[in-house]
This record gives sequence, structure tokens and C-alpha cells, in this order.
Amino acid sequence: MRLALLGVGNAGVRLVEQLHGAEGSDSPISGDNVLVINTTPSAFAETDHIADHQQLLIGDTHPDVQQPTADANTNSGSDEDVDSGSDEDTDSDTESPTREGVGGDPELGAAVARQELPEIRRALDVVDDTEVDAALVVAGLGGGTGCGVGSVLLEELTSIYEIPIYVLGVLPSEAESDKRAWTAARGIRTVVPMADAVFPIDNETWHDPGDDYTAVNEMVTERILSLFETREATTEPLPELCVDPNDIERTLAVGGVSTLAHVETELDVEPEGWITRLRKLLGMEASRQPAQSDATTIKSLVECAVESDFSLPCEISSTDRVLLILSGPPRELSRKGFEVGRSLLEDETGTVEILAGDNPDSAATAVSVTLLLSNVTDVPRIEALQRRAIAYQTKKALQSAIIETDHTVEDEIADDIHTARPFDEQLVATDAVDSGENTDSATESNETDQTDEHGFRFEDDNSATTDAWIENDETTTETPSANTADEPTDTATAEKTTNESSIAEETTNESASGDDEPNIKDPFAGETTEDEPRQQ
Amino acid sequence: MKLATIGVGNAGSKLIDRMLEFEKQTGRNLCRHVLVINTARTDLAKPKYVPKDRRILIGDTHQKAKGHGVGGDGEVGAEVAKNDIDEIRRVFDDVEIHEVDAILVAAGLGGGTGSGAGPVVIDELQKMYDEPIYGLGVLPGEYEGGRPALNAARSLQSFVTKVDNFIAFDNDAWRSRGQTVEEGYEEMNRELATRIVTLLAAGEVDETEVGENAMDSSDIMRTLDTGGVSSIGYASSDLEKADGLLSKYKYKNKDDDLNSMDAAKIKGLVRRAVNSRLTIPCEVSSADRALIVFAGPSSMISRKGIESAREWLENEADTVEVLAGDDPREDSDTLAAVVLLSNVTDAPRIKEIQTQAVDAQNKIRELDAVREEEITSLITDDDNELDPIV
Repeated sequence: MRLALLGVGNAGVRLVEQLHGAEGSDSPISGDNVLVINTTPSAFAETDHIADHQQLLIGDTHPDVQQPTADANTNSGSDEDVDSGSDEDTDSDTESPTREGVGGDPELGAAVARQELPEIRRALDVVDDTEVDAALVVAGLGGGTGCGVGSVLLEELTSIYEIPIYVLGVLPSEAESDKRAWTAARGIRTVVPMADAVFPIDNETWHDPGDDYTAVNEMVTERILSLFETREATTEPLPELCVDPNDIERTLAVGGVSTLAHVETELDVEPEGWITRLRKLLGMEASRQPAQSDATTIKSLVECAVESDFSLPCEISSTDRVLLILSGPPRELSRKGFEVGRSLLEDETGTVEILAGDNPDSAATAVSVTLLLSNVTDVPRIEALQRRAIAYQTKKALQSAIIETDHTVEDEIADDIHTARPFDEQLVATDAVDSGENTDSATESNETDQTDEHGFRFEDDNSATTDAWIENDETTTETPSANTADEPTDTATAEKTTNESSIAEETTNESASGDDEPNIKDPFAGETTEDEPRQQ
Repeated sequence: MKLATIGVGNAGSKLIDRMLEFEKQTGRNLCRHVLVINTARTDLAKPKYVPKDRRILIGDTHQKAKGHGVGGDGEVGAEVAKNDIDEIRRVFDDVEIHEVDAILVAAGLGGGTGSGAGPVVIDELQKMYDEPIYGLGVLPGEYEGGRPALNAARSLQSFVTKVDNFIAFDNDAWRSRGQTVEEGYEEMNRELATRIVTLLAAGEVDETEVGENAMDSSDIMRTLDTGGVSSIGYASSDLEKADGLLSKYKYKNKDDDLNSMDAAKIKGLVRRAVNSRLTIPCEVSSADRALIVFAGPSSMISRKGIESAREWLENEADTVEVLAGDDPREDSDTLAAVVLLSNVTDAPRIKEIQTQAVDAQNKIRELDAVREEEITSLITDDDNELDPIV
């Protein structure tokens, strides 16, 4: 199946780099329909397989977006950006000391993407949608760029392309900040309804905090490639039950979130003498080694896949549709095992919509099972993220509530809560904000950990006019609070710190006070600019 | 008989290909026109005996198919075939229909293309031609799961009502342990091709060679005329095996100048054919009509043997409508008996598939009903406090 690869944000760029590199030089899957988008050029520097014309840097002219070249030391704002950048970077939190781009703020990411939509559209010319069967948007959903720009890109793709658009979204682990959890929870909320299917990748399961992201990336690469691997019609041996692109498409057509498993069992490889090889070359000897696997092997392999760690752990029985691919040397693929395995899946998942196919490969040295569970609806990790996000949002709202003195303003904001998402307006607002923003960032620069606040500020910026920000300048006072708030579990600390300055920033959270709630929703939903003037 | 054969979908195409292979190996000439129709480009590459220009890809311009199959969905298969019906009709134009006695449409009923596009193709053929149209359908095994069963149960209804006779093949009856995926399907298709070709090829030989016992195409067509579902039994004896009973007989016969296998042996062969695996297991006595074809060197087939076999089957099938005859194959080194049980009404496997299909349909409906709701509940928190980004 041909699949355009579209990476967004640091995690997206690195994963696409991996996928594109792993698929092979002739790009059998992507057909070189590859594009990566980021708000900071640093991740581009690490790519070997993605050509320059396939890289798009956006937001470099946007005042709120921090570029690496900016004088970070002199500008307080730069520091803040640095912090948030690392948050956004799922792949290399540990390795990247610089924080650039949209500073982990999905609102800013979305605003930047909307502003640069013409640029994005032009860049999408490198993707020929008649050459591919689907497109895969790859992004870290906890990051500002991945989530914000990714959402806008997804919206754009679904409106211009008829092909299915899938999303591969990395979910932050427990070790990552609450803000990233909050961003990711909202990211899931945003992309699932728009995308034809979403493959969340659970860092909690796959990423050991002490390690780099090699394990996650390899897992993702292996599974995505084995699912979408393209079979040329002429490649011998031909599969008996070919998994056609439409089989994958139909399995995923129910939408929702999907998850992948892949297990394999290595076969003993007999060393061949040169005579044997020569005879084989001459077609004199059909190399008929005895099969090492039988029905039981294949069945246990399927059982093993069901029990194994999925790319997103879930309750198997909540699956809607299933696709099973059995690969290996043709002589190893037992028909009985294949059928029993399939039947076992029907029992385990409780669904009858199971498509199964074989993928014979004479050169393979392992028998493998790839399992796609489509539209799983019982996913503890997503619920956990949501709980964390709510806690975070509530806490923020609480803080802002304490701080808030002007109730009338909040009330007015509340009215606007449910207004649609005028990102354009936000953009205008953000543009205007420049000065105020910088000051904010400066103040917050110390608070590397508290990306949350940054995010909120940005939201506020978007919604608020420059005037508002100036008023908010109190944020300078916040700096101490920000420091404390690294892991914003304690509402108390947050409250202390935020008192004066954080009003603007943290108004976003909807908490006990009804006033606050509106604030929160407004920024994300894209409140109207009108609110800001009122605040002022 | 002279046939125009059409394979629809992956299984249907492979079946037709195996039929051509068997024909070629045994010097028969049954399939005068061949056509395979598929929705997946990859599957069209598989046949080895079907000429390239007789392989039709449909749905390559269809939004849902695009030449990549129909994802096992019979409804999409039917839709695609309806959209491309003009193209299919155009290909049929090449078929000199007066040269053939009947049309055979082969399809796997568990998949999307065979189950959906098959009946559409048959509809069109019925409109275009007066010749009888026979269906040859592969029913999915129980292990293949609920979705294929649902496709098959629905498609079976269409097939049986639209064709003049439906010859069923049950995957379950033919599965054997130790096969690879590739071997499994290959062997089953070969078994089925052997039976179909041996049966239908009777009566195609030039008039001059035809003996008085010879089976005629019209006899076969008359037997199939009942409609409904039919099952085929088959047994063969290798005439050249030096250590076999038959070969001893052969020599003995030569010595005795009897020139035939004795009646008991012939009857035994037929009994074996009926009691061995039928293409679909069924109650023999529920058959409406029956027919026996003996294929092999005519010298080996005694008239008496044919008659006693016929009587035996008449008894077994509990019908007086039993025809028997031979299909002389002088070069053949085997003697084969094919038994056609036409319109069998007691086939447990069909009931099973229907039960499985009803379960599957209920499950699918249940899932459909709650799908949107469950997705929404997954992606939103309990109080819907988290807002989307865009």
C-alpha cells in the first residue's frame, strides 16, 4: 500500500526519517511522497533520508515562535521557548537542551499553521495523492507543533484529499509533564474525529525514560512497515490471500483509534554449501527444507501477538475490526494454523470483521504475525491521560480563580466560552501581542519545567490583545511560582506563584469558579478576540 | 460439453486456472472461452493458464476499489460490478455463444468480489443469453469466521436463485492438516477442478469416437436442469499401477479378451465416489436427479458395470432419474467415476453457514449501533471538559 508520510514536529520528523529510511532506497511504501513540517529547523539537521525540498519550516517569521538563532541569553522570551521546545520534542527530551519553536503551545502551533497555510499547501505539492493510497500524518501529540500544526495539517488534508488520512500520534508517558498530557488528551480529542484512523503510540509502554527513543522508533517502524508493506504484483511467491490496500482501508474505515502488534519467531537457517546454491541457481534442485513450523506454531504465534504489548495497550474485546497478516517463507505458513489463529481472534475480540492474509517471502528467516486492531474503545492509557489533563486543567483554573479579582471580566468571558474557534482572530491577536509576550516569556524563562504556564500564556496571548498582556505583565512576578511549578501537582504552590501575574496566563483553566472555566475553553476553543478587550 | 467459463474474484480465478491446467494435462477441451474478473490487480497476476487479455480488472476507477480489491465486502463487490457492467458486457461480446452449450461462473462466496460481483455478472449473462448458466461456488470453512460466512450465506441466495444450477464446494470438507496456506488452496482447487472438468467434459469428444454408452452434453444439462444446489463425488483408479488389483485385472482382461473391468469393480468405484468426500457433504437420498460419468479407456468400462452402478445409485439416491454413461479417454491411464447429485436439499453445512451468518450479522449490527458513541466516549473525558485544538 502506498502511503504518503507527513511528519510534524520534532517527533514527527524523526519518525518519518526512520520510516522513510527503513522502507528502503526505492521507497516502496511512500514512493518518496514525504514531507516534514516543523517550527524549528533543528530536527531537520538530523535527517539523512528526507530531501531539502521535503522539509518545510513554518513560523520562522511569527513573533511568538522562537528560533534557535535568536539571542536566547539576552531575551528572556527565548529561555521560555527553549523549555517548551523540549517538551514538544518527544524523541529527545533528554538529549536536546534547547527549546525552540512554539514552546509546547498547541494553540500557537495551530495559529502558526493557519497563518502559513498557503506555504503548507505549496509544500504539499511534493505529495502526489494519485500515487498514494493514503496519507499518514506522524506527530507527537504532546507537543505544541505536533499537536497544533498537526491538527491544522490534518484539517487541511481531509479537505483537499479524497484518500484516507491516518494519524500516527505519539502519546506522552507518565514521566512527561502534565502539560504534555493535557495537550495530548486534547490532541486525541481533536484528531480522532477528523482522521480516518489514528494509531496512538504509547510512550509509557514503549519508552524507558532512561533511554533515547530508539526502542519506540524501531517498534513503530517495524509495525507500520509490516502493515503497509507493498507487494508488487509480480513478486513471487504470490500470496494466496493477498492483503490488498482496500483490506487495510476497510479495517480502518470504522475510525477511532487503532493499535498494532507484531511478533515473530526466528527460524533456524541452515548454512548452504555453494554446490547447493549453484544447483538452486540452475533450477536443478527445489530447495525443499522441512518446515520448522506447523499449525501449533502458527496458532501460538497468533496467541502470542494477542498477549503481546500493542503499540497502544487496550482491552482486546473492545475491538471493532481486525486485520491479521501472516508472513514468512511459504513452506512455514501452515494453513490450519492460519485458520485456527483467525478463529481464535474471533473468539478473543468478539468481532466477526476479521480479514486475514498471507505474505509469503521465500527469503524470510522468521515467521511473523502482524495484528491490527481497529477502533479499540477501551483504552486505559487514554483515560489516564484525560484524568491527568483534567487535573492539570482544574488546577490551573483554581489558581487563576484565586488570582482573579475582576469577576465581571470573567463572566463576560464565560459567555464566550462556547463560541467557535476563531483561530484567525487569535492570530491577529497574537500578532499584536508581541511586546507583552516577550516580557512574559522573560519572566517565565526560569520556569523551564512549567510548560503549562507557557502554554497558557500563549493562549492568553492569542485571545488577548497586547494591552491585556501589558496589564498582565505582573507575570514577571510569577517567575518564582513558575520554578516551583515544575510538576504542578501542588495547587498551593501554583497559587502562590501565580497570584498577580498568572491571572492572564492561567485564566485558561476551568476550575471551581465558573469564571475560570470560560477562560480555559476560550483559549483552546479559540475564543473571540472580544474577550481580551474586555479583560483589559 | 463446451463451456464458456468465467472466474470472479480470487478463488474463482484460481479455480478456472486449475480447470485449464487439468484440461491441458488430460487433453480435454472443455473451456472454449475463458474470462477472469477481479477487483484486485495483484490477484489477476496469479493465473498461469488464463491469457493476459482475458483477465479483466473492474473497479479500478471506483472510489472504494481503485484496483485494490473490495476489502472482503460483498456489497462493495456488487456495487463495483454494477458500475463496470458495460465493460464486462463488452468482453462478453467476444464470446461466440453459439459455440458453447453453457456458461459456468466460478466464485468464492466468502470473499467480497466473488460473493458480490458474481451474482451481478450472472444477472447480466442471464439477460444476454438463453444458454444455461451454472454457478460453481466455494463456501468458506467454519474457521474462516463470521464475515465470510455472512458473505456466503447472502451470496448463496443470489447465486441459487439466479443460476440454473449451483455446484457447491465446502472448504471445510477438504481441509487437511499439514498443508501450508499455499498448498491448501492449491490442492482444494485442483480437486474441484478435476471433478468439474471430468464431469462436464463428457460428451465433448468427436462424434466418431462416441460409443453407445457415451454420455451426452444434453444428459448432463438435463440432470442439472433441476436448479438448486448440487454436489459432486469422484473416485479414480490408476490403471498402470503394477501392484494394484486393477492392473492385474487389466492383464487378465487382455488375456481373457474381456476388455473390461468387471461389473463389481465398476460399481465399487461409484460407491467409492459417493461415499468419499463429496464437494459438499449431503444426504445422498435428498438428491433430485443423479448422473454418473465414467472417464477412461472405453475398453475398461463394461456396459454391465455401468448398469449395475446406475441401479445402485438409483437406490441410494432414492430417485429414478439417474443417468449413467462413459466419456471415452483412450489415452488415459486412470479410470474415473464422477457422480453428480443434483438439487440436494439436505446439506448440513449450508445450515451451519447460515447460522454462523446470522450470528455475525447480529454482531456487526451491534457494533455499528454503538460505534460512534464509543469513539466519542473514548476521546472525551467524562465531563467533556477538554476541548479540541482546532
